[in-house]
Amino acid sequence: MNNASAPKPAPEATPAVPADTVVRRSTDGRSNGAAWFAFRRPIPQWVGILLGALCLAIVFGIWWFLTRGPHEERIIGYSALPSPAETFNRDQFQNLWFDNALTRNLLVSLQRVVFGFALATLIAVPLGVLCGCFPWVNAFFAPINVFGRNIPIAALIPLSFALFGIGEMQKVMFIFIAVVAFIMMDTAAAIADVSSRYIDTAFTLGASRRQIILKVLVPLAMPRLFNSLRLLFGLAFGYIMLAELVTEGGGVGGLGNIINVAQRRGHRETIILVLIVIPAVALAIDRLLFMIQRSLFPHQYGGDGFLHILWRGIMHTCEDVKRWIIAPTPLQPGQQAALAHKPAAHEPHAAPPT
Amino acid sequence: MTTPSSTTATPPTSQDVGIGRLLEEVQQAVSPPTRPHVVEFRNVSKTYNPGQANSFTAIRDVNFVVADLPNKGEFVCVLGPSGCGKSTILRLIAGLEPQHPATTGTVHVFGKPVEGPGADRGMVFQDYTSFDHRSVLGNIAFGLECQGVARNERNELARHWIEQVGLDVAKDSEKYPHELSGGMRQRVAIARTLILQPRIILMDEPFGALDPQTRMNMQDLLIRLWRAVEATVFFVTHSIEEAVFLGDRVYIMSTGPGRVEKELEVEPADRPALEMARVPRFQETVYYIRDLIAQLEAQANKHAK
Ligand SMILES: Nc1ncnc2c1ncn2[C@@H]1O[C@H](COP(=O)(O)OP(=O)(O)OP(=O)(O)O)[C@@H](O)[C@H]1O
Ligand SMILES: [Mg+2]
Repeated sequence: MNNASAPKPAPEATPAVPADTVVRRSTDGRSNGAAWFAFRRPIPQWVGILLGALCLAIVFGIWWFLTRGPHEERIIGYSALPSPAETFNRDQFQNLWFDNALTRNLLVSLQRVVFGFALATLIAVPLGVLCGCFPWVNAFFAPINVFGRNIPIAALIPLSFALFGIGEMQKVMFIFIAVVAFIMMDTAAAIADVSSRYIDTAFTLGASRRQIILKVLVPLAMPRLFNSLRLLFGLAFGYIMLAELVTEGGGVGGLGNIINVAQRRGHRETIILVLIVIPAVALAIDRLLFMIQRSLFPHQYGGDGFLHILWRGIMHTCEDVKRWIIAPTPLQPGQQAALAHKPAAHEPHAAPPT
Repeated sequence: MTTPSSTTATPPTSQDVGIGRLLEEVQQAVSPPTRPHVVEFRNVSKTYNPGQANSFTAIRDVNFVVADLPNKGEFVCVLGPSGCGKSTILRLIAGLEPQHPATTGTVHVFGKPVEGPGADRGMVFQDYTSFDHRSVLGNIAFGLECQGVARNERNELARHWIEQVGLDVAKDSEKYPHELSGGMRQRVAIARTLILQPRIILMDEPFGALDPQTRMNMQDLLIRLWRAVEATVFFVTHSIEEAVFLGDRVYIMSTGPGRVEKELEVEPADRPALEMARVPRFQETVYYIRDLIAQLEAQANKHAK
């Protein structure tokens, strides 16, 4: 980038590494097994996958060992824990998918989480932004946030029935109450974490307070905020089970309800399968949200930033609409002059005189 | 010696040092000016955390004046030991909290007391403060966007300024700050300030984190741009060479609590920084200032005992 480049000395040949260097010794160390205990040494991907598979194999091995043989001779009886073969078979899967309508119940659960979480986000993020900008707003909401973060959420279930009935409303509001304080505090922390030098810079560039919040603080806090939201969504997905397991009156639907019904009928295989489905779904949602996150903030995570570009396009459209209503500010004379003197590189050349 | 003299009468006892001229007194407003002064500090003190156990007076009774010269902005460099209040003075001019407002005294810019920050006083910081979520183009057009200038107009002007600061429109305008070197980031910072045509440009050690070669290139760039924009520059630096090379005027501050101790007029830069460093009369001024600072520090230490 330097325009005036001074004559640089010719690159010298890299000196050969002396025979007895630290680098050498550490390579030796690997061969006699010390590599396993080297701190923070990265491992190849296939080793990682293999180790994970090994862990699974051990868990299933123990499970199989404890539940092997005919029902009467098992270490853990059939009524407590069915064997892997009894759990993972076609009948059980069919039972779960068709009799218990897994997909429909999963969607019911998800819908409740999404509604409750969206409501909490809509309310808590703007308030959290204000908390992060102005300590007096933060002080005002402090009692609610301290309460909301420290109350054992399960203890609220009985009260939530009294307040919101036994329908969908109760589930959605339960999720809302469970996460709203967390979202607010995380938003406030993300905003407060943006270095004040960005505020100073924006001020000296003539930005108003409102513009500093919307064009500087919120966008700069966004990567961290989105990350918090993603983690909290995982938490909320866990809470919905709680709300569906503890019910007044049956037939509320959702994954929790499948577990309840299976429990009543003594179908432990179904319970185990649902217990495996839940983390798998949670993981899938998390990865999906992370992909969105990556795509939204390419300056943080690299990549092509498709959603970032899409978002910029949306903002441009909003601006164009705004310019329809409020006329744009013209450039100052000096600025216009700077443009006029510039050789018009973008314009097509004038037609030659004929 | 033919140094351009300022509007107020310089004392006859001023002393020539190399390409500089030491003024006996720090220039101060004596009579009501015909044109308002660019910047005027009158008995300005700043005490941080007043009334508390950790209250600290950073500057006390600072007085100086930067006169408004016709068709020309002055380049004022501020030298002084760490903690003497250089940033405090700059941020008082910018109107940034918590330095603004001054504890006592008045800070006037173009005859009006400073009430808060504004785009007429642009600032370039030592820390890189490019907005991470905006491309180079978006960073440079930020100020115009805040003013509500139409997108095509502000982008075109921003491209013009990308060229002005020596970046490549085709290659760099869609890059994000994390893809830029420190020197490139400071070019962006300079461009986004100058695009708004500020009458005062405040620079707080803007090249402090750059390597010597890049630093000299940036100095040459800054001189070239400054001549074109006719703004008054306040430039804080720890490098005496940089101050003598860039400045028309050099303020030397001392600490405990900070005040402007001496003022020099320096001949303007007439060649690139690299060549200027070889001129004996230039070095003479640098050595002179170095001795002066050492002397001031020795005095301060004697007082402290
Ligand atoms: N916000 C603040 N609160 C309390 N004290 C402060 C604050 N800002 C600066 N100071 C103190 O005021 C003094 C002057 O600070 P200032 O930043 O103006 O110094 P400086 O000359 O710019 O130093 P440097 O060359 O290190 O940047 C320092 O001793 C510093 O500790
Ligand atoms: Mg400083």
